Amino acid sequence: MATAEVNWREDILSKLQERNRFQTDCFQDLIAQHNKIFDAVNALKHENLQLSIQNEKLRLDGDRAGGGDSRLHEKIQCLEQKLLTQQEELTELHRRKGENSQQIIDLNAKLQEKEKLIVMKDISLAENAAKITSLQAEITLFDRNNKELKLLNEALRDEHQALHLAFTCLEDKLRKLQDENRQLVERLMNYKTKDADRMNEENENFLKKRFAKMQKEIEEACRDTRGVSPEDLQEGYGPSCQSTIPTKACVKFDAHDGEVNAVKWSPLDRLVATGGADRKVKLWEISKGTCESKGMLVGSNAGVMAVDFDSTGTLILGASNDYASRVWTVADQRLRVSNSSRKRTDTLPRSRKRTRAVSNKCPPPPLGHPVARSFIAAVSGPAAA
Amino acid sequence: MANDREILREVWEGKLPISFQLDPDEVVELQQPDQFYLMVPRLSYFPLVTDKVRKHFLRYVANDKQDREMWLEYDGQPIKWHYPIGVLFDLLITSDDQLPWNITVHFDKFPENQIYRFNNKETVESYFMACLKEADVLKHRGQIASNMQKKDHNQLWLGLQNDKFEQFWAVNRKLMEVSSEQEHFKYIPFRCYIDDGYRQKLIKPVAEDGRRKTLQDLINEMFPGRNVNIKTHGMIPPLETPLQWMSEHLSYPDNFLHLCVQM
Repeated sequence: MATAEVNWREDILSKLQERNRFQTDCFQDLIAQHNKIFDAVNALKHENLQLSIQNEKLRLDGDRAGGGDSRLHEKIQCLEQKLLTQQEELTELHRRKGENSQQIIDLNAKLQEKEKLIVMKDISLAENAAKITSLQAEITLFDRNNKELKLLNEALRDEHQALHLAFTCLEDKLRKLQDENRQLVERLMNYKTKDADRMNEENENFLKKRFAKMQKEIEEACRDTRGVSPEDLQEGYGPSCQSTIPTKACVKFDAHDGEVNAVKWSPLDRLVATGGADRKVKLWEISKGTCESKGMLVGSNAGVMAVDFDSTGTLILGASNDYASRVWTVADQRLRVSNSSRKRTDTLPRSRKRTRAVSNKCPPPPLGHPVARSFIAAVSGPAAA
Repeated sequence: MANDREILREVWEGKLPISFQLDPDEVVELQQPDQFYLMVPRLSYFPLVTDKVRKHFLRYVANDKQDREMWLEYDGQPIKWHYPIGVLFDLLITSDDQLPWNITVHFDKFPENQIYRFNNKETVESYFMACLKEADVLKHRGQIASNMQKKDHNQLWLGLQNDKFEQFWAVNRKLMEVSSEQEHFKYIPFRCYIDDGYRQKLIKPVAEDGRRKTLQDLINEMFPGRNVNIKTHGMIPPLETPLQWMSEHLSYPDNFLHLCVQM
């Protein structure tokens, strides 16, 4: 029993031992070793990882340091740039300085010029002051002169006043004399008309005598019974119309620039008035074989168509194509009256202009001293009346 | 009385070399992970020894799968974690030539209908303690285990977990003692692994005539008329080995005899 028990126990023990030897022991060390190696590998891996992380970190740090470097570099660059700009500014400033010094030189030159100018001005000022003093002296001189002159002038004016008084007195005298003269002229004219009447009477008588004589001759001729042919009558021996035809011009002259529209003898003198297309009336004195122009009467705006004298021969009437008639005095050849038959309301611009000129009824009185004025008034007074 | 420390020591010392490798389909890294070799105690459970394995393979799988439970597979079959490792080896490996044992590690597609889930080591502990108590019920009507203090349970568990023979047996020997009035256990706690599961039966260590029953008697009672080989702890024990002694010395830490039946 015991041996049997020992047997199965030994059997089990040996089997277990064999099992352990076979299954456990031969692998135990191997796997322990493997695990050790595995752990080591893992540890190394971990370490490797740590190291690589560290490495990375270091590299990053390095990068950052590099970054720092780059930052430094940037800073340096920045500073260099600044330096460059500063240098540029410096050169700019130098240049400006040069410009400024140049300007200073220029300004100095200008200043000197100005100073020169000022000196010159001073000189001229002094001169002018001297001149002014001299001129003032002159002015005082002139003032004195002026005063003297004023005094003189006063004296002269007084004198003039006196003279004027004398003159008026003389003018009165002259007027009286003129009146007298006119009366005398009137008287003379009366005498002359009387003379002319007598002459006319004589002429009439002469003509009557001659006519009577002619009639007697005609009657005698008629008593002659010999016939007279009408042809003979035509020869110019007609009994009733004996006339002479002027054949030779005594005087010939060019009166106007254009046609001569009118001629008129003055009733008193040997004076002829002619009116022409050149808008003028001209006066001529005809003496033996010569012709002398006595004047030209202007004022007409168109060709003068007719002229006539008044009975005394002092006024001339001219009728022109501008619908107006004008009166001139012969003595001073001035236009006295201008009368337009047209109204001012003429619509034609040209004729209006013309009429305006014509309708200037009161032409300005002739310039001159009062004597002439009063003379004109005296002359025109009777004409107007 | 479990006093043959030589045998106990040899049983305790039994370890297996295992080569873990991650399922290649679950690798998302460019590099294929190395195989992980480990010596595991036969008496332990896989969840207690695979922490390192899990840690090793974790970084090779997709992020969303890392929180999932790791499960093991051998030869296309998921490994039942609640069996002791030695039992699994004896069941699955028929010859010693296949050492080290190649086990494939999975994180994805947990086969829920084939193996239990285990969330943490407490699951394993509670299962282990349940087995221990069941065995005690069979041996001593559950008096010893239930009379034990919590710290004794903890010492048992930690002794197993940390592979501490002395620590474990200091408590475990109480469970292996026979009561004063009886020379043997009431029933022998054992499990006969056959086909895909295991079978249990109430078998007394002594016959009615007082004769001590042997392994042969157990086979006769379990598989009458059939010639089977029994394998446990990687060896075939002699048929004349007494059951009481076997229970005392060849039981796994859960106090059960795990017998692999080979037809």
